Amino acid sequence: MTEQSTNEARRTGPKLSFILPLIGFLILAGFAAAALFATLSGSRNPAQLPSVLISKPAPATPVPLLDNGLGTLDLADFAGEPLLVNFFASWCAPCRAEAPALALLAEGVTVIGIAYKDKPADTSAFLTQFGNPFSAIGVDRDGRLGFAWGVYGVPESYVIGSDGTVLLRHAGPIDRRVLDEVVMPAIKDAR
Amino acid sequence: MIAELGHFALILAFVTSLLVSVVPLVGVARGNAALMQLAVPATLVMTGGVLIAFAALVWAFVTSDFSVALVTSHSHSAKPLIYKISGTWGNHEGSLLLWIVILVSFAAILTFSGRAMPIVLKTRTLAIQGIVSAAFLAFSLFTSNPFARLSPAPLDGNGLNPVLQDPGLALHPPTLYIGYVGLSMAFSFAVAGLLDGRIDRAWAIYVRPWITAAWCALTIGIALGSWWAYYELGWGGWWFWDPVENASLMPWLATTALIHSVSVVAARGIFKSWTVLLAILAFSLSLVGTFIVRSGLLTSVHSFASDPARGVFILGILLFAIGIPLALFAWRGPQLTNDGDYQPVSREFGLLVNNFLLTAATIVVLIGTFYPLGLEMVSGARITVGPPYFDATFNPIMGVLVLAMAFGPVMAWRRGTLPGLRLVASSAIVAALAAVLAGLALVTGISLAGLAGIGMIAWLGGGILADMVHRMRRTHHVGFGARLGAIQLPVWGMWCAHLGMVVFLLGALGNGLFASEAVVRAKPGDVIDLAGNEITFAGIEARQGPNYVTSTAMLDLRRDGQLLARLEPENRLYTAERQTTTEAAIRPRLSGDDYAVLGDGDAQMGYTLRLYHKPLVSWIWAGAGLMALGGFLAAIGRARRPQRIAELDAPT
Repeated sequence: MTEQSTNEARRTGPKLSFILPLIGFLILAGFAAAALFATLSGSRNPAQLPSVLISKPAPATPVPLLDNGLGTLDLADFAGEPLLVNFFASWCAPCRAEAPALALLAEGVTVIGIAYKDKPADTSAFLTQFGNPFSAIGVDRDGRLGFAWGVYGVPESYVIGSDGTVLLRHAGPIDRRVLDEVVMPAIKDAR
Repeated sequence: MIAELGHFALILAFVTSLLVSVVPLVGVARGNAALMQLAVPATLVMTGGVLIAFAALVWAFVTSDFSVALVTSHSHSAKPLIYKISGTWGNHEGSLLLWIVILVSFAAILTFSGRAMPIVLKTRTLAIQGIVSAAFLAFSLFTSNPFARLSPAPLDGNGLNPVLQDPGLALHPPTLYIGYVGLSMAFSFAVAGLLDGRIDRAWAIYVRPWITAAWCALTIGIALGSWWAYYELGWGGWWFWDPVENASLMPWLATTALIHSVSVVAARGIFKSWTVLLAILAFSLSLVGTFIVRSGLLTSVHSFASDPARGVFILGILLFAIGIPLALFAWRGPQLTNDGDYQPVSREFGLLVNNFLLTAATIVVLIGTFYPLGLEMVSGARITVGPPYFDATFNPIMGVLVLAMAFGPVMAWRRGTLPGLRLVASSAIVAALAAVLAGLALVTGISLAGLAGIGMIAWLGGGILADMVHRMRRTHHVGFGARLGAIQLPVWGMWCAHLGMVVFLLGALGNGLFASEAVVRAKPGDVIDLAGNEITFAGIEARQGPNYVTSTAMLDLRRDGQLLARLEPENRLYTAERQTTTEAAIRPRLSGDDYAVLGDGDAQMGYTLRLYHKPLVSWIWAGAGLMALGGFLAAIGRARRPQRIAELDAPT
């Protein structure tokens, strides 16, 4: 009986429910078109995100070190020089693309890795395969550190000044261009 | 010469496809039978042209004709014959042509098989299939011509990406494409039905075999891809939530929903507009799946080289192929009236729950795949959401689906009674409790999620077995054999597919809970303990393959001093391409796989070895195989006992 009446309502009622799929599709297509034309015109590039942390001290949430799980990662140990803190994970495809640029950067700058929501064994395997540019690696199993830093997703990197303040946030993989045009200038300024 | 012949055949197919797209529809509009009947021969000519073009391209690859630009950039004379052939579709242009081959072949099969179909429905379906074919033939000819020449022709080619030189590549894309493209038939039927303004039980019975076939092919294709990633990428994982994988999972989820909803249309004549919408969306998702990764919009570890200029054409096709049918749906959908009603506790309701959950799962995957793109548009950041997101969203939905799956099959059509409910419920609960207790007793330190998983799998298995017992009791036949025989093949198919889900889940859970691994730096002579086995690193040697050289590690796997196997993981250097690949060594057993990968290193420092023991991992693919087998059984059963469609028009 009740079903009968809903059927009646459907037949005579507004047809909005039949138009919704089209509207949803057009919105998605609009996004895709905007992304595509931005790519074509060359204006779509990974860029820095605003961060509330800029010019503030980096959050000091302690996380265990990857090596043995005994020690704790403390950024204060690296005070006195600029740092790059890189959030990465073995399950993250763009993180694989970062390896060459990070290796290059690590020749002159201390690079700290934070394994974000990742199993330590997977992280180790990832580093074995793609190389390990990090001076120290913290394990952020449950994403608590990432939450404190306001991480959107991986990969994401922060430049930290000699005094421990956050100078730059970069979301997305670091390639040669980002390294030369974004990361290195920030580190030069910090020095 | 052969290449020009192929190019010409492709142009011919394109021109004919325009004919198929327009003339039969004009015939339907004017009621002109001669124009309508043109759809059949024109479809066959179009198919012939595409097949000749594809044969010409395969020929160019087999004979290493380096005057064809595509062969130069994707092949090499020193490549084994099988990879010359499979190399034909190991690139954007060739795989697009393969896609079109399958698209037109399905239309050709319909011209032969749909003899009993109403001529208007058949003509319209062929015409819609023709329109889709025309769009993709234009895409191929105008942006991705596989026959473009290179002058002067180089002496040798650049080779094929070594990762793709694998039997997996010969099988995985064609199977997956049959699944993707098979959905084009469901799509064409749906659009033709909307044009008719009439979807009935007969429509559902005609379209059903195409949906089942597409689903089986998708299932096998995805399983092959997962298996290939497992043994070829050397990661020991079987699913990575990569955009390309998600792109194949979304149409699979939608098609799984479609298989269930079309059964309601076929049996009861309700859920019509929803089924039509699902058919359109399933094909749309498969279009998105095949092409979005080639447009440069999403980054993926294993996409073809992407090209934003091509992306514009792809976006145009998607707008046209998804937008117009959805507009048609908005206009005509409200006219599709239901032929009956149903009670809240009935099989219809159960299938509604199934569709709701599968759609929710599809949307979750869609969001996880495209959220990074949306975020990038808003903030400019390029990031990924990975397993943590899917673990938190997709898995719970699937968990509820598994719990509900135990009860769906035992529900009766229409009525509010549940004849087998008590048996199924008590079996599911007893099985789940027993499994949880066994898990607590046998596995030390088992996680809560693991316990829940074990309980759920047992719940589903118990429910399915109880349903089998219940149905066999219900028949009036005497004797076990006669009772078995009285069950119809489609029911066996359903059980097989559902049990496949149990097997799949056992594999996923066994591997997820009990896998052990060791990453070590070892020198020859070292012994590594893993999962009760001893692995002795016997040494490293260089070997020569047909077009590569290797460095191969020799690992002796022993249990209690007894030699079980020698594992030989290797790193290959492909000389023509100057690229290396990692080949895992796997000892597959029903109880679990031993899996070894050789990393970098040298004689002084030692070599990095990654060793895994992965319990039940092969059950993942065996489960997928059972699901596909279930689909085939159901399709065969329905083909052998076709429902008499004339009877359907009689009032029920």
